[in-house]
Amino acid sequence: MKRIMIDTAKCDGCKNCTVACMQAHREGPGTIYDLDLTDIRNESRNHIEKVADGTYRPVFCRHCDTPECVMSCMSGALTKDPETGHVCYDEEKCGSCFMCVMNCPYGVLKADTATRTKVIKCDFCENDGGEPNCVKSCPKKAIYVEEVNV
Amino acid sequence: MIHVIIGAGAAGMTAAKTIRQADPEAYITIISTDEHVHSRCMLHHYLSYERDEKTLCFVDPEFFNSDKVNWVAGKTVKTIDTADHMVVLDDDQKYSYDKLLIATGANSFIPPVGQFREASNVFGLRHLTDAQNIRKAAEKASNILIVGSGLVGLDAAYSFLEQGKHVTVVEMADRILPIQLNEKGGKAYKKLFEDHGCKFILSRKASDTHMNENGEIDYVTLDDGTKIDCELVIVAAGVRPALECIQGTNIEADRFITVSDSMQTNVPDIYAAGDVTGLSGIWPNAMKQGQTAGYNMCGIKTQYIDKYAMKNTMNFYGLTTLSLGRGVEEEGDVVIEREDSHNYRRAILRDGKLDSILLQGKIDYSGIYQYLIKNEIDLSGIKKDIFHLSFADFYSIDERGAYSYNV
Repeated sequence: MKRIMIDTAKCDGCKNCTVACMQAHREGPGTIYDLDLTDIRNESRNHIEKVADGTYRPVFCRHCDTPECVMSCMSGALTKDPETGHVCYDEEKCGSCFMCVMNCPYGVLKADTATRTKVIKCDFCENDGGEPNCVKSCPKKAIYVEEVNV
Repeated sequence: MIHVIIGAGAAGMTAAKTIRQADPEAYITIISTDEHVHSRCMLHHYLSYERDEKTLCFVDPEFFNSDKVNWVAGKTVKTIDTADHMVVLDDDQKYSYDKLLIATGANSFIPPVGQFREASNVFGLRHLTDAQNIRKAAEKASNILIVGSGLVGLDAAYSFLEQGKHVTVVEMADRILPIQLNEKGGKAYKKLFEDHGCKFILSRKASDTHMNENGEIDYVTLDDGTKIDCELVIVAAGVRPALECIQGTNIEADRFITVSDSMQTNVPDIYAAGDVTGLSGIWPNAMKQGQTAGYNMCGIKTQYIDKYAMKNTMNFYGLTTLSLGRGVEEEGDVVIEREDSHNYRRAILRDGKLDSILLQGKIDYSGIYQYLIKNEIDLSGIKKDIFHLSFADFYSIDERGAYSYNV
């Protein structure tokens, strides 16, 4: 399967990936120049944390081999695609219980801030060519896509 | 190999999917009293007409479109002939198995208060059939009494309030959601429900009932003598394991079916998973148990290790809460509480480790806390505020891009 690989040493915390993710998942049309960063409906599926020594840790969905989020989903909204290996989220099916948020050991998931009805979850930009926009926007090549053996 | 699974809930269906994946050649028969595969956690969405029989389903219907999967729906297993490896249905049909999984779940417990058990307008909320009956009865009911303010009781209250019914919730404890939340955490929900018309009566229990000539309870008397008029009663006072099919067999049970860590019963080739084992009433744990059983039934040795079960999330009126641990303070504990206009947070640290945490409001990225609690991670060396911890503080990533904890 394809996974977003992370080279933490290269990350300089610019958050281009975060903004790219917000832009890729915005509701209406537009470019990054008119993306409203203060609109709570524009949320990123990834986030960068700064740690005590001043370096950065990109927290991105791993589309885990044994996804704990899928193993907590009571509606069938979260599934692991046997072909792509990616963990897919079906908003229509979601029961908004957020047990997946509770169960993701890496603290990647969150409830959507505006309505608390959806999970904010990486979709690998599958509806946008399948090439993650975060990766395309990283100026340091700290994140890149690689095929990993399952 | 023929696998028979009794029950089509979280444990049963996860086992079926696991077997299908681990051994594509295996034959799987699922026998369920339920006529529809449905998520019990979403029955309140059925009561509120937001979902129907189809949209309550938590598995891909395609799963059953296989000549190797046979679903016997609407049939109940009467007994198990363990000597002959055979299950007997209530219509005397027989199915033989090489491996059997008992995942029959649980049924609502209706306490013997007054005529709760005899009346035709008293229901538990556990199965889709319950929800179907309730929805029908609710059509002509305007005053609804709910006994118990746990998650099931409040789910039911929520859906009736949405429909403009008069809802009264009676709770024995002095606060709502007493198992999941402390008083402060419960208060936020109490207010939200009250703002939507709900009436709560705390520290009281139903002690008697009055049944009319139609066999319906028309009022319930509380232990202080208060009479509450009602046309419909929902009893949300817990569940009891569904053990009927093992009565008279040599399958060992002590209130619940006894299982090993591989989810095996005392009888070879017979496994049990989910609520019937009494290990946990939490959906993700039932899935894990079903998965463990499924692997072992296929000969892949697996153990049920991830047993932590004191975990809950809830979401009413857009207020989300994560609650982990018992939340009960002991001597020597460090208790940290924090509050702002949108959030209430409380953590209990015991011997440098996180024992319990309650996050109400924002629950973003909170998955780490379950890991920290169940793996008893020593946090005494971490100077950071407990509520600001993130996976970044424990970050490790391998050459395949998989995360793990550096602790």
